[in-house]
Amino acid sequence: MRLEVQGLRLAYLGAGLATIRDLDLVVEAGSLTALLGPSGSGKTTVMKLIAGHLAPDAGEIRLGGRSLLGLPPERRRVAMVFQDPLLFPHLTLAGNVGFGLKLRGLPPAEVAAEVETMLDRVQLAGLGARRPHQLSGGQQQRAALARALVLRPDLLLLDEPLASLDAGLRDEMRSLIRRLQAETGVTTLIVTHDQSEAVVMADRVALLLEGRLAQVAGPAEIIRRPATEAVARFFGGVNFLDGQVTGGTFTCALGSLPLATPGPKGPARVTIRPEALRLGRGELRGRVTGVTFLGTQYRVELSVAGQPLMALVQAFGSEGPAVGADVALDLPAEALWRLPG
Amino acid sequence: MTDRTRILLLLGPALLLVGGMVLSALGLALLRSLHLFPQLAPDLSAYVAVLGSPGFLAALALSTWIATVSTALAAGLALAIALLLRRGFPGLKVVSVLVQLNLTVPHVVGAVGILYLVSQSGAFARLAHAAGLIARPSEFPVLTQDPYAIGIILTYVWKEVPFITLILLAKLQTLGDGAEQVARSLGATGWQSFRLVLLPQLLPALAAASALVFAFAFGAYEIPLILGAHAPEALPVRAWRSFTDVDLSARPEAFAISVLVAALGAGLLWLYARLILPNRDRDAG
Amino acid sequence: MRAETLRLLAGLVVALALVLPLVPLAIWSVAHGWRFPDLLPQAWSGKAWALALSQRGGVLESFGLTLGIALATTALAALVGVPAGRALGLYQFRGKRAVLLLLLAPAILPGIALVLGLHDLFLRLGLVGSAGGVILAHLVPVLPYMTLVMAAVFTGFDTRIEAQARSLGAGPWRTFLTVTLPVILPGLLTGALFAFLVSWSQYLLTLAIGGGRVQTLPLVLYSYAAAGRNDVAGAIALIYLLPGVVILLFTARRITGHSVGLELRP
Repeated sequence: MRLEVQGLRLAYLGAGLATIRDLDLVVEAGSLTALLGPSGSGKTTVMKLIAGHLAPDAGEIRLGGRSLLGLPPERRRVAMVFQDPLLFPHLTLAGNVGFGLKLRGLPPAEVAAEVETMLDRVQLAGLGARRPHQLSGGQQQRAALARALVLRPDLLLLDEPLASLDAGLRDEMRSLIRRLQAETGVTTLIVTHDQSEAVVMADRVALLLEGRLAQVAGPAEIIRRPATEAVARFFGGVNFLDGQVTGGTFTCALGSLPLATPGPKGPARVTIRPEALRLGRGELRGRVTGVTFLGTQYRVELSVAGQPLMALVQAFGSEGPAVGADVALDLPAEALWRLPG
Repeated sequence: MTDRTRILLLLGPALLLVGGMVLSALGLALLRSLHLFPQLAPDLSAYVAVLGSPGFLAALALSTWIATVSTALAAGLALAIALLLRRGFPGLKVVSVLVQLNLTVPHVVGAVGILYLVSQSGAFARLAHAAGLIARPSEFPVLTQDPYAIGIILTYVWKEVPFITLILLAKLQTLGDGAEQVARSLGATGWQSFRLVLLPQLLPALAAASALVFAFAFGAYEIPLILGAHAPEALPVRAWRSFTDVDLSARPEAFAISVLVAALGAGLLWLYARLILPNRDRDAG
Repeated sequence: MRAETLRLLAGLVVALALVLPLVPLAIWSVAHGWRFPDLLPQAWSGKAWALALSQRGGVLESFGLTLGIALATTALAALVGVPAGRALGLYQFRGKRAVLLLLLAPAILPGIALVLGLHDLFLRLGLVGSAGGVILAHLVPVLPYMTLVMAAVFTGFDTRIEAQARSLGAGPWRTFLTVTLPVILPGLLTGALFAFLVSWSQYLLTLAIGGGRVQTLPLVLYSYAAAGRNDVAGAIALIYLLPGVVILLFTARRITGHSVGLELRP
């Protein structure tokens, strides 16, 4: 079901909870949207507002057209999975997964059947009788996911579901979430501070900076066409050029560069991602001021007509440029993006 | 030095001192009660005398009543107060200092304070008189030296509620409110998430603290000494009176009482260990 | 908000209930006679305090004796309890459960279960009637608290810092003083606080092992209360509260359920 958040506002509530200022957010029915932001940006606060553990000062939250405000958490049909699995330690795995179904008054046999199906889907079949402390970290997190999904909620909220896992288990959990979401079609909002996690998992990425939504877009879009310098910087953008747009070209310290989407004439700031710079060919010349080997890439710092630029080039089969060398470089028109506003 | 020797050296003094004193004390009481010591004339006469004496049975009943009611009231009140206090409110600091202060108050002081508060000429009786409810002290309900041991129970409740409350607050703090929020998002109402999720997790701590309170209320001497009636008297008072009786033949009976109380204490110790030690082992391992 | 008001009210009731029994004690201590229907004494007097604070009353002497016994018991308990806590906190070994149970036992067994047997034991050892005997006997209820607090402290103790100090040239004794002790000190102080308070509050054990010759404050308080000297009893009760108040207010030691642990009853 479609989630609409409008004008959501919440003043400071105490340590650990950030302020939310006029937040608008739409999560399309059946989509997996990531709410991305650095720590302290208010992601968890937004989650708790949607789940009903906090009440907003102003604004509206609608799920499938009905307002959630004023409803207690248990009547929102919003299931939340926290960063820690938070399995109930006094119940078995099956007891945990069946917790919500039992509350709904389902007959025990049906509960057991549903639980078994669900455990199978999260690869925990046969472990139903175990206690939480007898499960590994990854198993616990899958159990927490199963406990929420078995209720077929209208909205699934995942708060940093990979944060408590080791690197090796993350990929596994990431694809499990993706697969289960696709199979069940449950509208999902996932909160994360990890940009690669958001980009890999989500259909849409909503970037939250300082309590405000900076941009909502598809993962490729938000990286290639950032709405603001802050968005560009969040995703690792470092190259910013100031100049003038006249006709279809951008004039700056580097000279005149053609733009694919020039926009109206006037002063402009243009960005290009470091991996989009091409070295070794092109009209422009620059001097290499620093080279860092990153394992699979070289980070090359350049000075081009006094303008510092950074390029990431594949390390495979090449030595990488030497410091002090003059290199040719190309800034492809389609990779140059004029920041709006 | 191997770990084994090291452990032995570290534990030795404590085991010798406490273990030595505790085991010798229990052993001596057992030998004495069975007439195995100082002269070897084994018989069960002390136990027969104790178990057959109406005074003992009344004292046992009274001490059981005191310990049960005090523990139940203290546990219930402490649970309610802990749940109220954990959210915090403007005066929380003051209350928490007072709670800690109460823990430092010796039981004797509490007992005398309660005596001056609720006796028939105590502060409450004076207030009742001022309110025109009573004319003479004898019209005020008997709350001390009374058959229901109300004053004694009040003292234990007053002293033990803060103790259990602090333990529960610590446990609540460790648990956090995440599990309850999960329960709510899975469809549990506030009451259901308390009953099905929070309470079961609090219960071991509550039960363990209650076992301590029960043992103390059952076996303490000075509180019933100050606030209790002459008949029936609480078990510890009776045991000490038999022990210090000019008639030395009463001593084996006193030892028999202490052995019986120790047996009950062993039961509580077992319960306590079941509640607490598994967690300790897991934490340590 | 309703819940907020309810909490505030409950807090007030709790605060009131916590101090209530102490109020009549304070009033009695400065009352010059306080007959039945009077809500407050007709006349005030410093007589009870004068007696309590005079040489003649024996209260000061008793205060010193109680303090000395409690401090000595605490020191002994630390001496024995810190090593024991270290063994329990750092090592896993066979029989650990039994050791824990034995060390825990005196804190859980009802007082009367041990007192008579201890009296018999101490009588045989010739220790009844002496302050030294009382100190030794107080170790029985005190040591569990010290040991278990220290066991908890050592569970979270990283022995690598000791190895580090040794590799930097410190001997074992110096390592203990300059590295281990500072690390365990906060826990040790908490344990000492409990040890002190447990010894400070003992009644029957002191009565039995002291054989009536070791008159600590609780015994003196009781004899004045039993003699109907409510005013002096009130004054002694307040004097008796003093160390607890001082420790709490001036050492910034916090008694929390964490430090009480589940094993502990103050």
